[in-house]
Amino acid sequence: MSSTSVYPTPINAFKQSKRSVLSVIVDNEPGILARIVGLFSGRGYNIEALNVTVVDVKKNLSRITIETLGEEKVISQIIAQLEKLVPVHSATNLANLSESYEAEICLVKIEFENEEQDQKILNFADIYRSRTVQKRQNIVVYEISGTSERINKFLDDLDTIGGIKVELVRSGPIGLGI
Amino acid sequence: MNNENEFTGADILLKALKDQEVDTIFGYPGGAVLPIYDAIFGQNFLKHVLVRQEAGAVHAAEGYARSSGKVGVLLVTSGPGVTNVVTGLTDALMDSIPIVCISGQVPSHLIGTDAFQECDTTGITRPCTKHNYLVKDVNKLSETIHEAFKIASSGRPGPVLIDIPKDVQFAKSKYISKKDISFREHRIKAGSKNVDNNFVKELVNHIKKSERPIFYVGGGCLNSGHQASQELIKLVNKTNIPITTTLHGLGCFPGEDKSSLGMLGMHGNYEANLAMNKCDLMINVGARFDDRVTGRLDAFSPDSIKFHIDIDQSSINKNVKVNFHTNTDITLTLKEINSFIDSNNIDFGDNDYNNWWGQINEWRKKECLHYEQGDEVIKPQHAISRLYELTKQKDTFVTTEVGQHQMWAAQYYKFSKPNRWITSGGLGTMGFGMPAAVGAQMANPDSLVIDIAGEASFLMNIQEIATAVQYKLPIKIFILNNEYMGMVRQWQELLHGSRYSESYVDALPDFKKLAESFNAVGVRAKNISELDDTINEMISIDRPVIADIWVDKKENCFPMIPSGAAHHEMLLSKYDKENPENQEKGKVLV
Ligand SMILES: Cc1ncc(C[n+]2csc(CCOP(=O)(O)OP(=O)(O)O)c2C)c(N)n1
Ligand SMILES: [Mg+2]
Repeated sequence: MSSTSVYPTPINAFKQSKRSVLSVIVDNEPGILARIVGLFSGRGYNIEALNVTVVDVKKNLSRITIETLGEEKVISQIIAQLEKLVPVHSATNLANLSESYEAEICLVKIEFENEEQDQKILNFADIYRSRTVQKRQNIVVYEISGTSERINKFLDDLDTIGGIKVELVRSGPIGLGI
Repeated sequence: MNNENEFTGADILLKALKDQEVDTIFGYPGGAVLPIYDAIFGQNFLKHVLVRQEAGAVHAAEGYARSSGKVGVLLVTSGPGVTNVVTGLTDALMDSIPIVCISGQVPSHLIGTDAFQECDTTGITRPCTKHNYLVKDVNKLSETIHEAFKIASSGRPGPVLIDIPKDVQFAKSKYISKKDISFREHRIKAGSKNVDNNFVKELVNHIKKSERPIFYVGGGCLNSGHQASQELIKLVNKTNIPITTTLHGLGCFPGEDKSSLGMLGMHGNYEANLAMNKCDLMINVGARFDDRVTGRLDAFSPDSIKFHIDIDQSSINKNVKVNFHTNTDITLTLKEINSFIDSNNIDFGDNDYNNWWGQINEWRKKECLHYEQGDEVIKPQHAISRLYELTKQKDTFVTTEVGQHQMWAAQYYKFSKPNRWITSGGLGTMGFGMPAAVGAQMANPDSLVIDIAGEASFLMNIQEIATAVQYKLPIKIFILNNEYMGMVRQWQELLHGSRYSESYVDALPDFKKLAESFNAVGVRAKNISELDDTINEMISIDRPVIADIWVDKKENCFPMIPSGAAHHEMLLSKYDKENPENQEKGKVLV
């Protein structure tokens, strides 16, 4: 008889997909985003959300935030490989930090037809403390921010109002460790 | 403008290469690199080796790098020139070989217009290089080239590509020399220079306590430099711990030393694999727990405490979880371990692992590399053994192609020094060995360089014979001619019911005549009585030689751990039958 393994059988341990938000500081130069994206696409991993912006003009640094679903072990391997990329300064899985904060911003354009709808929209906007960017006749544009979950809820609530037209854009989550 | 401090991009490239002490470049011209070729024409510090296909240039650069410890350099044109080197770049990435590839690109204003011989070079090569650049501003050229060399050779080495549009090769700028450039540390990723003292202390403590320790040494030891293997030899002698090496680790420790268990892994030695399976302490020095080495992961060395020294952070805990690790350079770490042992007067005298060695010697009695040489047909194993015996007095460099002959070379040719064994491990690239021999011979003009080849692999880059002939490189191509893609045939025999689908190499050329038509020399051994004479003749000729050695067509390479099996489930000969359950599971693996 063969002895039992000290390692858990990997097949099961790896299969659990988890949401991760990765934060990567990079030199702002051509090709870096493609390099990073390649580490996900090469594995058949999808990027759920992505945000890239220069955060230090003098040092020419960008911060890239990536939301993805994946097995924890694979995500750790991706982080280790991110850190090997030449233009990368650091790569962190926010989930591994003891304290981190996340936010997302969303712009929603709503077209409505009647007073009743307008009233309901106003009501939700008030509950979620979203800011009015523009309002005229039958169109209103709100800005709402917070965790992705909070924005999801706001959008779900809007969905309960029949007959309105919604168009929106989301920044994807951004996050910072403390 | 005629400022004498300004140079064209092409001249800047040459100045930078000179500054980097590059004296050899492998290349092939084309429209997008003509200005660079023009610059090469009027100088004499740089020897250009004209290959016959760009794939030859990249493997030659790899062979040059591996055999010299320097960065290998190549130059190719845009479009098809670049796409021809993709395999070699991937090969160098997998096997951590430092090379710099310079490619021409269509002029900047034509990029993105589907111009003639345009391709997205940085896009195509991004996943197969350690880093790559598109240089759009001639003012950035000097710095880019120096950074490329630094990145190629630092930390875990690898291939770097610099794509230079044709207009940038003509444009003028100042040259900035290597010494005037300050590298940004985060980009170089050279690994820590500080030895982890805690790691060292823990390791020495575990060595003292352990009963069944083993060193498991890989190509990282090679890349750390000759001193790493000196320190390793010291440490092994001091501790009397058995040592096994991976395919790329061969030569880091003398293969004929009594402490050496030889190579481990899929075609590794019985004693090496069993020792890995049963050890209680594993000391991994620059190896990466590759699937060819570990076999089935959940049965890999179940009872050992594992230490791992690797400069590449992403190799730690990737396939196998380890108990202790350090990312500091191997030479520095081994040196510190040795001096820690010396300065603390740690004596391993009363722990010389007698029982462990007793057990290992029992395993050795299996004589897993035993073969029966009859008196007619040449056994491939015997051909390599004889080649070794007849060349071991010389400082010989051996390259290989990919297949059974490669594994037999690893098993029967013994290496006593690093950098003498040059093979495609991670990618397993057929056609690697002959151009790699061209590169190795360029770097070591006075040494004997032999490509141990299979007839099928050899045909993949056969055009490079012309390169060897042109530059009077007396490389020897030692073909174990079995008329089969032997390794494919072996898997078909073991896993696919002996259905030899498309693995017979029909319509082979007459290799002797082929050699002659290239103005090289052809020799042949058809049976055992001709073998030694043929080898001796091959060695004695100071020109490129193709030796066509007819070997047993149906010989298989053993020992073998079939894919999906564990280390202790090794097949030792054709009489061993694989457990059918593993066979089904193994079929889906590679
Ligand atoms: C470019 C490439 N294509 C396919 C393979 C798959 N392959 C591995 S070994 C082998 C057969 C090699 O035959 P030969 O060179 O005659 O060597 P032998 O095994 O007979 O010694 C093949 C086709 C490979 N490794 N590389
Ligand atoms: Mg063959």
